[in-house]
Amino acid sequence: METGQLVQQLVKHEGASDGSVLRSNVGRISITREASQSFFSTLKNDFGFDHCSLISAVDNQTAFELVYHFSIVDATGQMLEVHIDLPRDTPTVDSITHLWGGADWHEREAYDLMGIYFIGHPDLKRVLLPDGFAGHPLRKDYVYEIHEEEW
Amino acid sequence: MSRQQVRGNPRMRKGLGSRTSDPATMMEDPPSGDWLTLRSDQFLNWVDDAVYNIAEKTGIRDVVNRVTRPIFNWGLRYSPWPLHLGIMCCALEMGAAGGPDHDSERMGVVYRSSPRQCDILIVNGPVCEKLRPKLKTLYEQMADPKWVIAMGECAIGGGPYWDSYSIVAGADTFMPVDVYIPGCPVRPEALMHGFLTLQKKIREQEPGYFLRR
Repeated sequence: METGQLVQQLVKHEGASDGSVLRSNVGRISITREASQSFFSTLKNDFGFDHCSLISAVDNQTAFELVYHFSIVDATGQMLEVHIDLPRDTPTVDSITHLWGGADWHEREAYDLMGIYFIGHPDLKRVLLPDGFAGHPLRKDYVYEIHEEEW
Repeated sequence: MSRQQVRGNPRMRKGLGSRTSDPATMMEDPPSGDWLTLRSDQFLNWVDDAVYNIAEKTGIRDVVNRVTRPIFNWGLRYSPWPLHLGIMCCALEMGAAGGPDHDSERMGVVYRSSPRQCDILIVNGPVCEKLRPKLKTLYEQMADPKWVIAMGECAIGGGPYWDSYSIVAGADTFMPVDVYIPGCPVRPEALMHGFLTLQKKIREQEPGYFLRR
């Protein structure tokens, strides 16, 4: 399937918008977080995206943005970028661990460093930082006070 | 013979099978001056003290020291076995120093994989908060005498991550460090020089005593 065709079909899904083709074989689409769960199961079951290679979280000061990268492991190498905007006061989204098992640690990392809460994740705890660490250090408003002194 | 005159452990005196709930015949605390109530570590300490005191008082220790100190010190100096632990990019330079170009094994530097067999802990990279208790455990598992080499800027003072939220600013904030080797990363020649500096330090500060205290 052509990337343009694929994006056109996906944009028809409820809550999807901003479909575009970034470069050959790479499409981009935005989805609201309410419709994300049905969109992702469609992506996996109907379109055959069998690999979740990345979940990244971006702090846009006014809101958080989640970026998912999916791909089809075959000769075409089709890739898709999915963006979800999250409000800053309630950064929660449904987990996709039951669809792609590899998303487990990506979601834990996003929780650890950026404080995104994934509802339905089996074991949402810190993965890089020690347990008991205060705060989420990659947020723009995170202040680390111990090394404040000049040297 | 009355009961007070018997020396030794009351449990031994009564026999092992004489457990009773009667408070009158229960095992009492041994009187002071009793000598058979030592735990194993106390017994080892007692033997250590006895041997050390006898050797010290009779002058045997001085005589033996005069003979064995150069030998023991030479042995310590030329077999500084480091722990084969790589944290970050300085570990590659450590591997290069052990390779055929800069053959660090000609100075007796043999990398071992167990901290029980090692004398040197080379901290070759930034120590993050999650690694710090593990590194401390490794250091405490090594047998005395032991030394620590802080290799590279990250281990000396945090390096480029000095104000990070997760990196400890220097290995000497939580363990004693003997040799600092600057560099980012440290060149293999610099690591060899660090080993030589440590040899010099062992020659001066670690005499290799017989019955060391």
